[in-house]
Amino acid sequence: MIEPSVPDRLDDLLTSYFQPGAAPAALASRIVRSARAADAALETLEQRLSIRATPRGVSLIRAGRGERPATAAARRLAERARAEIGEYLRGQRAFFSVPVDLSGAPPFQRRVLEAARQIPFGEGRPYAWVAERIGSPRAVRAVGTALGRNPVPLIVPCHRVWRTDGGLGGYLFGAQLKHRLLELERRTPVLEGCATTRIVCRVGCIHGRHMRPENRVVFASVQDAGSVGYRPCKVCKPSAAA
Amino acid sequence: MDTDRALMRRVTRRDEAAFAEMVNRYAARLLAVAGRLLGSRPDAEDAVQRALLQCFAAASTYRPQWAVSTWLYRILTNICVDELRRRSTRAAHDQSLPIHRTPDGRHDSGAHLDLHRALERVPREARVLLALRYVDGLSYGELARIRGISVNTVKSQLARGKALLRAELSERGGRE
Repeated sequence: MIEPSVPDRLDDLLTSYFQPGAAPAALASRIVRSARAADAALETLEQRLSIRATPRGVSLIRAGRGERPATAAARRLAERARAEIGEYLRGQRAFFSVPVDLSGAPPFQRRVLEAARQIPFGEGRPYAWVAERIGSPRAVRAVGTALGRNPVPLIVPCHRVWRTDGGLGGYLFGAQLKHRLLELERRTPVLEGCATTRIVCRVGCIHGRHMRPENRVVFASVQDAGSVGYRPCKVCKPSAAA
Repeated sequence: MDTDRALMRRVTRRDEAAFAEMVNRYAARLLAVAGRLLGSRPDAEDAVQRALLQCFAAASTYRPQWAVSTWLYRILTNICVDELRRRSTRAAHDQSLPIHRTPDGRHDSGAHLDLHRALERVPREARVLLALRYVDGLSYGELARIRGISVNTVKSQLARGKALLRAELSERGGRE
């Protein structure tokens, strides 16, 4: 039996495949409601933070008031960290470039924090994953404690670690904020390209900041961007991220 | 009835009735694009909701020289593409996650299922262009603006995507 060959049918098939169905009812009112309930919790967090730094990097981030860093280099780092955290909390940054100084942390905690830093933006891993990663698979509880005392939350993303059963687990700034941060990261894209320069950057890169909204395109991978003629940025080096 | 641009001017002034009208005009098409890209109805609804929310919140960044549809599709595809990125890194981390998802709950014929599987072989950027092209019949120029690429790239990506689909589908047809 001879069937019509696939090439001839492809256009029709694609058209019927992509045929729009019905939209859910009351979508507009749902959206307007959530637009009104825009959340101020992250903004308050930004204002509440005190940031301490050494000349080598950010050493402590806590809620409340803190003392001013002693040296000019440390002060600059603390200010840079504050600016980056602000952008992050507004959904304009998907990575931190400011260095951290973990020399005050005991070796085990440092290993835990380094492992947590490897979790990609917008994702999560169980505590057990971190334990395995540092070569102490039975030390799940100790991992939890080490993350709970994370000296530099947000920059070392301890909020991306949750319980193996899917539960959120605790957080230094409260479990609700942990949830908010994970939501925020889900809304923030990671790679953006500029339609005029044809360069793809990590969101938050200094070059991306000059990009007009109408030139902004999000890509899923550096490879995807490359397939349509975008090259990776040499400053933020997006290939290392995604 | 207002034109899209007139409607958008009202949305910029926070006119909720105008926004509802715009949602009615576009939701079904946006949902079709997101549904076919993300493969699941709940994910698609979530993406469309986030896109429309962004459009409502950032209405002031809309430039009238853009067609409203181009702007909306730009926002939506940005969200979908980022969701796909997350999914691919998640799948690489956790092998147990099903990578091959079933289509978005609509009743699909066998031919659609074959096409769905064949589309998974098409590179992501080409798949995005195919979805936009066949849901709303957008022109090459509009597709180029939505994805920030040149018209020639649009053409070559679409041709390459379709060639891949043809090869996949005829191979499948040959096996059965």
